[in-house]
Amino acid sequence: MAKWGMVIDLDTCTGCQACTTACAMENSRLPGENWQDVLFYHEGKYPNVQLKWLPRPCMHCENPSCVSVCPTRATYKDPEGGFVLIDWNRCIGCKYCQVACPYGVRFYTDEKAVVQPDIRTVFPSEEGRQWDPPWKGPQDDPRRGIGIQPHGVVSKCTFCYHKVSQAPAGVPDLDEDIPELKEYVPACVRVCAPKARFFGDLDHPESRVNKLIADHRGTRLKDETGNKPQVYYLSGGASAAVPSLRAVHQDKA
Amino acid sequence: MTTATMDNKGIQMPILLVAGIGFLITAGLVMFNLSSQGHAAFNISNDGLFWGFPIVVYDFFLLTSTGIAMVACFGFLFTGETFRPLFARSLWLALAGLSGGVAVLMMELGYPLRAMFLIPFSFAFSSPLYWKVLAVIGFTVCLLLLIWRARATQSTLDSLRGLTRLTLLFAILVTALAGVVYGSQSFRPFWASGDIPAAFIVESIVGGLAFVYFFTLLAYGFQADKVPVSIRSVFAGRMGGVFAWAIVLHLVFVVGRTVNGLYGNVEGLQAWQYIVSSPLYWIELAALMTALVIMFSHALRRNILVQVAAAVLVMVGLFIGRYEYIIGGQIIPLFKGSWAPPVLSYAPSSTEWLLLIMAIFLANVVNALGGVLGITRSR
Ligand code: SF4
Ligand code: SF4
Repeated sequence: MAKWGMVIDLDTCTGCQACTTACAMENSRLPGENWQDVLFYHEGKYPNVQLKWLPRPCMHCENPSCVSVCPTRATYKDPEGGFVLIDWNRCIGCKYCQVACPYGVRFYTDEKAVVQPDIRTVFPSEEGRQWDPPWKGPQDDPRRGIGIQPHGVVSKCTFCYHKVSQAPAGVPDLDEDIPELKEYVPACVRVCAPKARFFGDLDHPESRVNKLIADHRGTRLKDETGNKPQVYYLSGGASAAVPSLRAVHQDKA
Repeated sequence: MTTATMDNKGIQMPILLVAGIGFLITAGLVMFNLSSQGHAAFNISNDGLFWGFPIVVYDFFLLTSTGIAMVACFGFLFTGETFRPLFARSLWLALAGLSGGVAVLMMELGYPLRAMFLIPFSFAFSSPLYWKVLAVIGFTVCLLLLIWRARATQSTLDSLRGLTRLTLLFAILVTALAGVVYGSQSFRPFWASGDIPAAFIVESIVGGLAFVYFFTLLAYGFQADKVPVSIRSVFAGRMGGVFAWAIVLHLVFVVGRTVNGLYGNVEGLQAWQYIVSSPLYWIELAALMTALVIMFSHALRRNILVQVAAAVLVMVGLFIGRYEYIIGGQIIPLFKGSWAPPVLSYAPSSTEWLLLIMAIFLANVVNALGGVLGITRSR
């Protein structure tokens, strides 16, 4: 059984946000509902200041706190693949999982629109969903939090479950450069122009993701939380793998 | 019915009417706003402030309810018949508080009805909220049974002891689990602490005492000559002392948390610097300290209006404290960056304020109804 994981090479990532855009298009996300985001921040003070960025999808943690706290078992860890998914038919919108996720990657889109005009009113849904975009992907699986969510529930990155779960069994990596596998590659990985993202089976001894993690000392974000992300970051050069959290306005805090 | 237990029934009907109309208006407005705007009517945001004012109000009412029940049960178990004139009234008041809190929660959740049937049968053992909901169900059932049993003419302390203990246990459990919901969030150092359940229990008891004082005296129109001697002596005597010491304990938790937070260098604890620089924090401390001085002074606490003032001060102080605790744990974004400020700004929306007013009206409706129907009278 695969345990899918992602490796993001921060030295290669250009912060172009192609991944963010591809994710929004693939999964029909609302503006601001960035299942995949690139966070920009700066460290230091002038003249020693650096602009940095950190791509941040859901980490599909091995030990996910969002799953532990969910009072209805709406959020669950799929034993086949290790995806952390949400069953929208069980979610009650209590937002405990949002509070309990150390990575801030969950969204409750019933709140005020972050971008005006509110696109939900421009393309309203007649089926009780958040909206009805003129183009949307065909995938619709509310029991796995795939498609456009109804009102009153939380949503998050699915690791493109609808693609990855269709991959042939036993493949070590899902690489967009392998023609027969490219359709199964998560949208953010497939679109990454500088090839800063890699996706594969963390339990497969031959997988490239494992090799990258081992050879380049892959690190996990906020590893002290014990959530054990299945997303690893590589950094050996100019970029910091894990941003210094108090980097911004520390003196004002 | 003895003179000691007779209350000024005349005041309950006007309260019921005013609170009833107020409830209908505020609930109508909230429903209208929610149906037209959805939860966009609240000022919560995906930037990091997920639990806003509605959760503050809900928690305040829930913990007030369990606090009142704790006061009633402790009082009855430890002082027996001395507490009898306050017993049924306090239990009913606990139910009134609970109804206000639950009503607000129903407005806050995405799927309130689904929550009611899914959570109890989800067997989500790892979730503090699952256990909390089970405990609330147990608490409500015990409270209702106890109210019903306490009304029986022949009910004695001995006949009620078992059920009173069980109600007390559930009240403690609900309060402690409410603390675990926050205290277990280890990556949020503002919240995370093993002593939070204990702090919540103390805070609940302080709130419970304040509400018992206020609403009992309200039932007599705040008129000293109408308040039975038995109640006056309980309020001015041991209960006043317990109130004062409970405030002391609560202040130890509040000030201790503040000092530790200000010393701490861990990400998230900077929230304390914002909290202490806000006048709200000092109003909270001043309110609690004033109430403390009043309740420690035997001379002052004999005066019924002074008791009412102390109760109101405590209510205000505790509400501010609850707000600071819940919001403070979220105002420092987990990831600060170009578009995430060092501190999130949050102010409740008009709909969120309406929820508070609605909960106050509803709790008063239920409480006054108990007076009108004679449920709050002890036999
Ligand atoms: S990153 Fe957050 S939402 Fe994703 S699995 Fe981990 S705890 Fe859950
Ligand atoms: S919001 Fe939904 S998924 Fe999140 S904890 Fe509540 S019920 Fe579970």
